[in-house]
Amino acid sequence: MTSSSAPGNIPRAFTLAAAAVLVAAVILYLALPIIALFLRTTPEQFLDSLANPEVRSALILSLTTSVISLFVIILVGTPFAYVHCRHQYPGKVLVDTIIDLPLVLPPAVAGLALLVLYGRMGLLGQYANMLGIPIAFTTLAVIMAQVFVASPFYLRQAKSLFDQLDPAYEQTARTLGASPARVFATVVVPLTAGGLVSGAVMTFGRALGEFGATIMFAGNLPGVTQTMPLAVYVSMAGDFNAGITISILLVIISFAIMIAVRLLAKTEVPHA
Amino acid sequence: MQVSLSNNHVVIISIVCGLLVLSAFFAGCTGESAQPAKPSATAAPAAPVVTAASAAEPVKTAAPAATTAPAVAATSTPVQVYTYAEGNVVAYTAASLKGVSPKLAEGFAKMYPGHTVVFNLDGTQNLKTQVQNGAYADVFISASNSYTAELSKGGYFTEGTVKTLTTNYVIVILPANNPAKIQTLADLAKPGVKIARAAKTVPVGTATDAVLVNLARSTYGADWNTSIYTNTVTYETAEPSVATKVALGEVDAGFVYESTAIAAKPGTYTSISIPKKDNYLQTYTIGVLKSSSSKGPASDFENFMLSDAGQQILKDYGFRPA
Repeated sequence: MTSSSAPGNIPRAFTLAAAAVLVAAVILYLALPIIALFLRTTPEQFLDSLANPEVRSALILSLTTSVISLFVIILVGTPFAYVHCRHQYPGKVLVDTIIDLPLVLPPAVAGLALLVLYGRMGLLGQYANMLGIPIAFTTLAVIMAQVFVASPFYLRQAKSLFDQLDPAYEQTARTLGASPARVFATVVVPLTAGGLVSGAVMTFGRALGEFGATIMFAGNLPGVTQTMPLAVYVSMAGDFNAGITISILLVIISFAIMIAVRLLAKTEVPHA
Repeated sequence: MQVSLSNNHVVIISIVCGLLVLSAFFAGCTGESAQPAKPSATAAPAAPVVTAASAAEPVKTAAPAATTAPAVAATSTPVQVYTYAEGNVVAYTAASLKGVSPKLAEGFAKMYPGHTVVFNLDGTQNLKTQVQNGAYADVFISASNSYTAELSKGGYFTEGTVKTLTTNYVIVILPANNPAKIQTLADLAKPGVKIARAAKTVPVGTATDAVLVNLARSTYGADWNTSIYTNTVTYETAEPSVATKVALGEVDAGFVYESTAIAAKPGTYTSISIPKKDNYLQTYTIGVLKSSSSKGPASDFENFMLSDAGQQILKDYGFRPA
């Protein structure tokens, strides 16, 4: 009887219960498909499929291209975001929009656009073709497709971090005699590193999972352009088990990276 | 004291609610797995035209205002809406019929007024996987005898409805301007030539493999065969994708069906035919699925496809007779 004697306890209980149900529902909706994937195969089948050379080549190709894409995006994107944030220039709003464009573009459209531009009949690709540099249907095309679709994730995160960062730190460093490049490398980046890393994680995940643009622009050739998502799609029809194995591999890798990053990085950016 | 007691109650209530949600979730799953929502559960096997009017009644489908006049049936128009209403046929169809499908839909509506057909076009291997995992279809048109056999063994087809529909040979197409100057099949092995073809799980991919083996054995030799594989730059997941890559000029040659080459707009491709003795005759089959809820219209569609009218349309688009 003591529990119900205080007014307002029942509504409070109700709210807490509703919140718990909400959290449980969301977690289940996101986690159950992954769990189902693991339950659909047995450890023996999984290890058997791992021995399949196509599975291994897809795994290595995916990881290699995604890492290279990530480095390209970080190396080019971080200075770009910094310059973009610290200066006012005409058309800044337009550039902001263009950066976000690959986010809303369907990947197949992105792939077709890249093919029409860089393919050997393409606007720019025809000159590369004349010089004897093949672009479409090569591993380079895989990297280009991944960079195109994954860069907005990193650029948006970097832009938001640099916008939030109080310029006072950089200004102080400048007054103490540091060059802009030194300020960037030794003041700005360490302060925003946590957030940049989380942006990089999202970017890596997106690059790893890219399918539509890859198959359009780079084609599907085992060992050269067949990334893991493509291998899943192709194997689903013939060898269902191989498809499930690759999917599980992708899940494990993504999970491991995200956990490692969460443990290693903080995301706070100091304000004044 | 008071607060912690009510907190315990809260935890218990949440756990019970969570379990209720879970059980509702799973109950919903098992309940729905067999069939999708069917507003016209009145599906009688033989579907005379009149019943289209009564089936327009269930408001769940976004059909236009249901009148009970039988005259409505003759001009049923909701083609855009994907419904399971009586008179609608969902046809899972091999992708190589993409070009001919609009004409087939027209012909079907002409022969059976009031019926419409919706095509799901994809590589037969993908369609087979979808059906095996519970996707709903009325009719299945397969480009490969082995996939048809697999589905038959799994009991997916209605007895007696699996028939040969049409046949098709493999051909090599080149972009119209022939950038790699390929004149004969031997030229395909030249270094630097880019070839597109379908993956080996795609029916036309299996056919391509067979054709290459035959050609190597009879005419060109094992080195030619190896060079072709070295020159292959992409294994596409459906036949029309191969044709697209060739049409865009991004590859020098592609292995597709004759129907694609014949039905294309003049000036899109140059083609090199493969001798019949080395070629692989792909057999298409059509069948009504056991899980179909509009078996009447589905059989009507199969009759149309096998009739002179349907076969003529296929012939116009380059398919060979069954």
